[in-house]
Amino acid sequence: MAERIAPDEAREALAAVTGARERMAAEVGLPRLYWWGMAAGWLVLGVAGDVAPEWLAAVATLLFGAGHSTVASRLLDGRQRTGDVRVSAAVAGRRTPLVVIGMLLALVALTVAAALALDADGTGHPAIWAAAIIAVLVGFGGPEILRVLRRAVRA
Amino acid sequence: MTAARFDELIHPSTRLTLVATLAAADWAEFGYLRERLNLSDSALSKQLATLEDAGYVATERRLDGSRHRLRARLTDRGREAFEGHVAALRQIVAGGDPAKVSP
Repeated sequence: MAERIAPDEAREALAAVTGARERMAAEVGLPRLYWWGMAAGWLVLGVAGDVAPEWLAAVATLLFGAGHSTVASRLLDGRQRTGDVRVSAAVAGRRTPLVVIGMLLALVALTVAAALALDADGTGHPAIWAAAIIAVLVGFGGPEILRVLRRAVRA
Repeated sequence: MTAARFDELIHPSTRLTLVATLAAADWAEFGYLRERLNLSDSALSKQLATLEDAGYVATERRLDGSRHRLRARLTDRGREAFEGHVAALRQIVAGGDPAKVSP
């Protein structure tokens, strides 16, 4: 016995397939711990840059960079935000690492701009305050900022 | 290009969503699939067993701390069947040869 499948039914089935793929694409991102680690690092560097000797700030920056490189090599593709699922490379796309790096560079620029503005305003310890502001932004809003940026560049 | 081939095993809605979810992932944990598809443990186990029997899905039990966790992934055969099924659905929508469900 053979049974015809109506175009409407086929259309609904395709919509279900697209929906499943879109839900999986929404899983792309970095673990929450990454963002909190980044926020903590930002704060430490802000404090080191403001109150520590130059050599210590340089060492802290190098350590932060090395630590981030190690973590980033495993996480930046955004395919395993949680331990529950690993998104396929085809769905995750190849632009996510570039988006994260671009976002971090923009945040560095924002930190410098905030510190300069705070300094011009006469605020004490402007580097610490600027780092704290950006750290809060990264810790609480990192996943959301990345999601918006990925959507904007269709990553 | 994948040849269009309607697959009766994949077509039922719950199974299609399950296969489509797995097709978009390298692997997924049982708990994740259960939550995403809003299925009970037994219903998901049954669907996975059907797909595993057909060679479309492979499951792997892993020990995570003191808990056993089940991880599922689509096999190459399952991926090929899924892509053929999607191609068949597109053909139907485009007004091509109507798919036929094999006996």
